[in-house]
Amino acid sequence: MNLLKEKLEKGMLPQFVVTDPDIYELELHAIFARTWQFLAHESEIPQEPGSYLTRWIVNDPVLLVRNQKGEIKAFLNSCTHRGTILCSADHGQRRAFTCPYHGWTFNLDGELIGIVAGDKIYGEQMVRSEWNLRPIPRVESYRGMIFANLDPNAMSLEEYLGDMKWYLDIFFTRSDNGMEVIGAPHRWVAKANWKMTAENFNADPYHVQYTHRSTVELGISPSDPLYASYGHQVVLQNGHGINVITGKEGRGRFTYQTLPESMWPMFKRNLSPVQDDILSRATVFVGGIFPNLSFVSPVHGTEGHLHNYLNFRMWRPLGPEKIEVWSWFFIDKDCPEEYKRESYKGYLGSFGTSGTLEQDDTEIWAQMVEGNRGFMTRDKDLNYNNVINYLMGYDLLKPDPSFPGPGTAYPSTYNDSLARSLHEQWLKLMLAELDRREAEGE
Amino acid sequence: MNGDLYLDICNFLYHEANLLDSRKYKEWLELLSDDVVYKMPVRNTVEKKDNPFDRQGFHMHETKKSLETRVNRLYTNSAWVEDPPPRQRHYISNIAVEPGERDNEYKVRSYFLFRRSRGSEQNAEELSGVRHDVLVKENGGWRIRERTIYTDHAVIPTMNLAMFL
Repeated sequence: MNLLKEKLEKGMLPQFVVTDPDIYELELHAIFARTWQFLAHESEIPQEPGSYLTRWIVNDPVLLVRNQKGEIKAFLNSCTHRGTILCSADHGQRRAFTCPYHGWTFNLDGELIGIVAGDKIYGEQMVRSEWNLRPIPRVESYRGMIFANLDPNAMSLEEYLGDMKWYLDIFFTRSDNGMEVIGAPHRWVAKANWKMTAENFNADPYHVQYTHRSTVELGISPSDPLYASYGHQVVLQNGHGINVITGKEGRGRFTYQTLPESMWPMFKRNLSPVQDDILSRATVFVGGIFPNLSFVSPVHGTEGHLHNYLNFRMWRPLGPEKIEVWSWFFIDKDCPEEYKRESYKGYLGSFGTSGTLEQDDTEIWAQMVEGNRGFMTRDKDLNYNNVINYLMGYDLLKPDPSFPGPGTAYPSTYNDSLARSLHEQWLKLMLAELDRREAEGE
Repeated sequence: MNGDLYLDICNFLYHEANLLDSRKYKEWLELLSDDVVYKMPVRNTVEKKDNPFDRQGFHMHETKKSLETRVNRLYTNSAWVEDPPPRQRHYISNIAVEPGERDNEYKVRSYFLFRRSRGSEQNAEELSGVRHDVLVKENGGWRIRERTIYTDHAVIPTMNLAMFL
């Protein structure tokens, strides 16, 4: 681990960490059991009591349900009797949840309200309230985005997001009625390591010019190989960050990312002048919330016209070499219906299961697994110089103090500053876990 | 339903599958009518009382124009998903034909099993489901006017949906 730290400080990441099974097991404890995990957006759960969604935090099944008061509750989706999955549907509406195994029934607040032949079998001595559904330790939301944390002592969600809130607000507060999710999220399985997909998405606009060159050949993207580099890469706290891609002259090809002109006065009213200015000029926003939530707000279309949308994607690890991708489509509730429809098609043409940009990314992710799992690459003593390169911008790019948003902003997005920050945060949490284990004498 | 017509439609679907498996996508596009509606709704796992197919969520919701863009992309020099080319096979079966709502139109239901083998990967990727098509006879040849792909999977097991189904 010391060797890891030493290399990372010099802009290199020892290659074995990508798919090493021991590292993966440690990540589950050090990272996924201790960081805020995105579950859903409020708009996915209808207002009617009993509306529910089931989600996952890696291998922990989660049941999100609206109770009689309209509050959203989150429980471990596992019957307290024998641990069976309680609700096996993705979404729906129920008055209560009954386990299919022995028929134990829980209400919308997770209380055990029915045991088949209960009194006859268990008598009076079993205290039913001790067998309520187990709540997820921490559930908090920001602007309708619901996150959970398995660590009861974690810092608050707002503190964790820190300055990322300022950037999320550009999307989530610009319209009077906020954002909504349309359709159920796409879910698919890919051969990939979650760290590499997060890095690929959050921190690597450099790949756009080659991985996605087909869109240049089609005339959807500009031919200048530096086109995705113009703008700023902003490094934030806790491994979060965002790339604000504008254009060579500091302004993109579009105004407000093609969002309808009728909405612009609303944006001006709801955003600060600085946020409004950035939104009006940017071509693409792409970034991520550590560890495994990424987002992109691009402009795309496969029918000769271009539209904007916001896409969230969560990389659920299913092992060191496998992920389940969850991909949500967001658009302003106040957007005209016609724009929403076209924008959804723009999403399908670019990201999500069938997205043309996504197709090439998935191919690369699989190749990264294949290329990082051999004897040489997994050598922990680094005898083969088996480190990967995060030297772009290292010691070369200085922060641009004129950038008006919060965070440390570098004047080019072809830059590994954010990727390094992501891996530094990863290492910090891994080392903290090892320290805890050492302190506990494990 | 007369046997010749049924055979004719079966042959058309097998011809289509052959074009896709041979990666002759431009020729495949010619089998679609200009007003084609090609869609694949998201399937969810839901309780028996509920509809498993999302009303608003789709994996694909395409027109002739957007399909042309997808096809043209595969002919560029940098569509890495098909370079090196994967080996793919569409198995089409359980074909049922009934008259459509307009003259010369037929509603055709067919099952599909899609298998794709990539690189040195030992395990082929697999997708299955049923397609509901509306076929129309135009200028002596069949064209697909509508295709709705109902997949069996709530979590798509293939790494992407770069293929046409």
